[in-house]
Amino acid sequence: MIKVRIPTPLRPLTKNQGEVDVAAGSIADLVNTLEASYPGIKARLCDDSGELRRFVNIYVNEEDIRFLKGKDTALKTGDEVSIVPAIAGG
Amino acid sequence: MADLVIPQHILDDMIAHARELAPYECCGLLAGTHGVVSRMYRITNIVAMEGAQNLSSFDPAKVAHLERLSPAERAEIAFVMDMQDFSTAKKDMRTHGLDLQVVYHSHPHDPARPSVTDIKIATDYEEIWPKINLPNPTYLLISLMHSTPDVKNYWITSGQVSPAPFTVR
Repeated sequence: MIKVRIPTPLRPLTKNQGEVDVAAGSIADLVNTLEASYPGIKARLCDDSGELRRFVNIYVNEEDIRFLKGKDTALKTGDEVSIVPAIAGG
Repeated sequence: MADLVIPQHILDDMIAHARELAPYECCGLLAGTHGVVSRMYRITNIVAMEGAQNLSSFDPAKVAHLERLSPAERAEIAFVMDMQDFSTAKKDMRTHGLDLQVVYHSHPHDPARPSVTDIKIATDYEEIWPKINLPNPTYLLISLMHSTPDVKNYWITSGQVSPAPFTVR
């Protein structure tokens, strides 16, 4: 299983869970698996073509997927994935 | 702890960034080593991008407020960092052995102190920094509400704001 850290803005979609465990072989697979359990989450993370939106980052074991293989980044059991919302303010 | 040192040219460049984008908010990062800033990264403010307000940690009242405004108006009262730019900056810091020191943004119409939204999001972010292998930064505000810009730096910890003085050299 892969441990996925859910940031505060997405927790209303995950029944307020800050961490969920998912079985997935890649980031794209993980997003689809999350979507099956928590409908609506994919649209928050990815645009219509499936690319990561510019106001979110995903890290695998502290490494940014933009510098790995993006949504094709492979995952293995024990990996930790963090969904990171944009730094923001008012 | 010794004051953070910000070189004059970097302070000038931040103020120039704020003025170029006014009346919209600018945002960016400062990085360096041993308490001395050596590099500034301008980050694009993408608050006007569709959906951006929903994936930041804005509270529901702020989201409702933002959604009543036009995209351009949103950028006058808020910022959302382009995380593609952020990733590029983070990579550059790693390449050059720099530490993230400061997250900065401007308040075109308001004083140089963190807003309620700034405090909430910075507090939410405290648990994220270690996950992305970065130290907790200070938060620097550039106010353009008066003819002379006012620049102040703060620690934001567990919802509490305290001054983080800096020296310009």
